[in-house]
Amino acid sequence: MIWRTALWPARALGRRAEDAALASLDALLASRLGAEAVDRVLSSELATRTVSRALEGPLVEAVSRDLVRYAVLERLADGLLDDPQLEQLIGRTLDSEATERLLVRALDSEATERLLVRVLESRLVEEAVQRLLDGEELWLVVDEIAQSPAVTEAIGRQSLSFADQVAGQVRDRSRTADARLERAARRVLRRRDAARPDTP
Amino acid sequence: MTQTPPVAAPTYEGLVTRAIAFAIDAAIIDLIALVVGVGVGLALSILNVGHDTQVVLLAVGGVAFVIWSIAYFVTFWSTTGQTPGNRLMRIRVCCADDGAALRPRRAIVRFGALILAALPFCAGFLPILVDNRRRGVHDMLAGTVVVAAISEGPRSTPARGASSPPALPSG
Repeated sequence: MIWRTALWPARALGRRAEDAALASLDALLASRLGAEAVDRVLSSELATRTVSRALEGPLVEAVSRDLVRYAVLERLADGLLDDPQLEQLIGRTLDSEATERLLVRALDSEATERLLVRVLESRLVEEAVQRLLDGEELWLVVDEIAQSPAVTEAIGRQSLSFADQVAGQVRDRSRTADARLERAARRVLRRRDAARPDTP
Repeated sequence: MTQTPPVAAPTYEGLVTRAIAFAIDAAIIDLIALVVGVGVGLALSILNVGHDTQVVLLAVGGVAFVIWSIAYFVTFWSTTGQTPGNRLMRIRVCCADDGAALRPRRAIVRFGALILAALPFCAGFLPILVDNRRRGVHDMLAGTVVVAAISEGPRSTPARGASSPPALPSG
């Protein structure tokens, strides 16, 4: 108790000294002198060497590990994705004429064509198609499409059209056969061809 | 004074076309009879019916088949004038004098005459080859002709006694 009472003036003095130092630092940072000093430090050889050494050393790996460990990128991405301004920015970018021009140029370029050809010729496409064929989802989609009223109606129409075409051929041939048979019968019976409206 | 539009002369249908139409009808009749017969046969197979009953049922089945065949032709001839086989071949049975659909009595007469024409080794159908209106014996007996049906759009069967059907030459 006595010790505390005795040390109290010293502590108060220390706190005042800290406050004064911080106030001095704030004044320095806010002043033109502070800005000038920072500029000089950053443009100095020392700063360049310091950064180079830092990048050469294990610092980068350590920072990378910490970025992964503390899920810094995920947190940043979450924050960005939740931001409605990002959505507006993407919308504006997609709607802009510059993006359209860029896209058209990219699609027209020979490099894109070569890239597309390489992708199509790669095993990736084959594997993707194989996986698609092996999966049940594709056949569910095919079933769904096959059972859709539009498709069944189209198939029905095609079938009817085909049946009608076949029937038409049969009708034509049967009428030709009729005419031939009757000519033969009349020849056998030595009868003259009667003027019939249907006789070809 | 209104001018009536010129009426197109009817196109009489020949033996081959009519035979194909008849074959289609026969196939339909037989197929339906077969399905019904198999169904009845399967139903009877689980019932323990005696020999005499089987004979009676067979006779009943025969009579039912005859009635079914007559009903098939008479119904179609006397309503639309076209059996399904006729429709496929686009031909129509109608009265020789006015082109109207047959009355049921005339349809029955035509069916009976058809059987008669078929009995002497189908010789009753040979007049179709030489007759000016391509009529068989059954057509002559029943006073009917077989003409080409109108192919465009739904064909309207001329009502009996109506003035619209084209007048067919008689004789």
